[in-house]
Amino acid sequence: MLDVGRHPRINLLAYSEVENVSGDAGNFRVKVRKKARFVNEDLCTGCGTCAEKCPTMTVDVFNAELGSRKAIYKYFPQGIPSIYTIDKDACRQLGQGKKCGICAKVCQAKAVDFEQNDGEIQLHVGAIVVATGYDVFDPSVIPEHGYGRIANVVTALEFERLLSASGPTAGHLDRPSDMALEKEIDDLEKEHKKLSRQLKQLEEKHGKSSAQVMDLVKSGAAAADKDLHNWAASAERFGELEARLEPMRQKIGAAQPAKKLAFIQCVGSRDFRFNKFCSSYCCMHSVKEAMIANEHDNEVSSSIFCMDLRAVGRGFEEYKLRGGKQANIKYVRGRVAEITEDDALNPVVWFESTTSRQVLHETFDMVVLATACVPTAGTPKLAELLGIELDSNGFFKTDPLAPLNATRDGIFVCGCAQGPMDIPESVAQASSAAARAAEVVAPARQVAAAGSQ
Amino acid sequence: MNIEEAVKTYQTYYCLDCGVCTGSCPVSRILPSFSPRLIVEKALLDLGDELLKDPELWSCLTCSRCFERCPAKINFPEFMRCLREEATRRGTKPVYSHHGMLQTIMELQTRGIHQKKTEWAKEAGKVAASGDTFFFVGCMPYFDVIFRDLGVDSLTVSRNVIKILNAAGIEPVVSDEEACCGHDMLWNGKPEIFKKLAEKNLDVIRQAGAKRVIFNCPEGYYTFRHHYPEFFGELGLEIIHFYDFVQDMIKQGALQLSNGTGAVTYHDPCRLGRMAKIYEGPRHILQTLADGHFHEMERNRENAVCCGTSGWANCSSGSKQIQVERLKEAKHTGAQTLVTACPKCTIHLSCALNNMDMDLQIKDLTTLIAESMD
Repeated sequence: MLDVGRHPRINLLAYSEVENVSGDAGNFRVKVRKKARFVNEDLCTGCGTCAEKCPTMTVDVFNAELGSRKAIYKYFPQGIPSIYTIDKDACRQLGQGKKCGICAKVCQAKAVDFEQNDGEIQLHVGAIVVATGYDVFDPSVIPEHGYGRIANVVTALEFERLLSASGPTAGHLDRPSDMALEKEIDDLEKEHKKLSRQLKQLEEKHGKSSAQVMDLVKSGAAAADKDLHNWAASAERFGELEARLEPMRQKIGAAQPAKKLAFIQCVGSRDFRFNKFCSSYCCMHSVKEAMIANEHDNEVSSSIFCMDLRAVGRGFEEYKLRGGKQANIKYVRGRVAEITEDDALNPVVWFESTTSRQVLHETFDMVVLATACVPTAGTPKLAELLGIELDSNGFFKTDPLAPLNATRDGIFVCGCAQGPMDIPESVAQASSAAARAAEVVAPARQVAAAGSQ
Repeated sequence: MNIEEAVKTYQTYYCLDCGVCTGSCPVSRILPSFSPRLIVEKALLDLGDELLKDPELWSCLTCSRCFERCPAKINFPEFMRCLREEATRRGTKPVYSHHGMLQTIMELQTRGIHQKKTEWAKEAGKVAASGDTFFFVGCMPYFDVIFRDLGVDSLTVSRNVIKILNAAGIEPVVSDEEACCGHDMLWNGKPEIFKKLAEKNLDVIRQAGAKRVIFNCPEGYYTFRHHYPEFFGELGLEIIHFYDFVQDMIKQGALQLSNGTGAVTYHDPCRLGRMAKIYEGPRHILQTLADGHFHEMERNRENAVCCGTSGWANCSSGSKQIQVERLKEAKHTGAQTLVTACPKCTIHLSCALNNMDMDLQIKDLTTLIAESMD
């Protein structure tokens, strides 16, 4: 990826959108809208001082919404080009109309530009390669899996972020239910602290204890005194918070990272209700995630629930076997029927072991859903812009005998834009698509050169 | 329809052998020998005779929990219905509950007997002999007598329907000649009797000049919606569930409901929920009635479990176990009242509750609505 950013003959237009395409193979005109970053790309050095000082926190989409980031941000640390962007909606100055501008003050390169507008770029190109990737299937539409309802059921991508050293938990397998509890405690503690300060001030000012005031109000002796009523109400809320916080603190103190994991294969794929196709890479990423989780903490054990584990590819089957032998992975043949939740917020997985013909249920600390690979939300719109067709699954259609050709000359498709595939295959396709594009561009360029002479 | 035709019609050859059906099945959890996956497999392997003699064929609750989740979209309940038809033709039959009394009543209704089953309706409110709106009462008058010892009081529900319809200015048609909708006969593997009952009902409804039929019973509603057109083509009648009607009345302000039911929870009947896809209507009504004290059971809507037995057949200790578990689940929500919307769910769950030491009330939603009318 870095090579692309540094390549002298590659002009990278990140944070941009294709708006219009005209012309033919060898001679396309493309209109691109370059969205305003509110940061001057030529000046920004990517040092990150702005994000460090930015006072506004917002949900971090890259961390699967499990963590938070600043309003001025880089989508992820290794992203290219290494340039910051202001999240317009979250920003105090741009989104909420408040006075701020701290990022602009601290930026030594003077790169922050609140007045920046969207730009329009016209490109004249010979060929187009569509490499728009994929979206992750939203499993909340499957009621039996309980995603969104059961806190400790997460998607593979969320789990990936939990496992990541640069993720929201620094690589520890904290359970989402505990993370939510921690946040709730934080919020309550903030209120607790504020009330404590207020009550202390009142007590010092009036020389009365809060308990006395509560008694006064209760006995009716403070009939019309609004201040005393408010004081008593605050004191009551304070007592309530203390009572609520204590068991919560005990609970979080006893919380353990997840040790027993379940991986559920084919969530939204190989399922006629949603997507008929096999997402092909999920078997391997579940094995990989289970291996990494075990490397991080040797006590982690995993069960992978599948109809069949499709370890197709060089070394994949061996990797799968190694997982079983060295990383505490158990492979269970049986698609999961439903997930329920017990009183300790542990997910309970119900399934038929089709090898033993028994209906079983097992309790886990966390369940990871291997969600399907689906076409990106913008795929139909882009297909219309480019004048190319989609296949029956909603991906860009290609010719089986010319597997990179879209349905229009001069346009090529590679990677998950044409269907689910893993990284090595995507990389191979990308190189191939570049070569096919060059086949169109080179003669067109010669013709153009001859014409200009 | 023989097994081969059933396999083709319901495309069971798409089976992925994944086990979701068996893993979802409430019966398989209790009776390990029953497995929808293996039944499909046996049918595909051409073990027809063995399969048709298998008593497990009658253990299926046809609750559609498997079909709801089947990744190959195999309609197992309908497939099962076809297998039962074929099995019946070959002389096997289920173990009838209540000594087959209900099946006898249903069969008798095809033989030109005259029933006197609407006397109560005249006392309950204003009803008519002909008109636009037909209220299909169903088997409630029979249940009222047969299950009185359970304290179920089925006719109260029908009386309340008339009361609420009257409040909306509607005088529904009720008829002594109305027969059983045929639901149970169909699922008991006797489509010929179903057809006779259905033909009679369509006759009675058309003769009354009705354009729309209102149902309170989910089985009648689903059977009229789904199976009547399958057997007889387009009916030319508007088929309405009573709760849709009630919701409209609430929206238009024609029905004022007070709240104060205490804490309630709701059990989705399979014909109303998974089969007719009516999940939210009853919940909207309950939320109005319970004013913030409506608590969902963990297994709700698509994930709800059956009341333990269906078609008045094969009621077993397994049914009891399913019922007891469901009642415990209801109690666990903190509810004082378990509300349901099907006369059979009410009967089955009450039957189990009567033998338990549990402080829980079972109530039909219609009765709850009538009690909350201003």
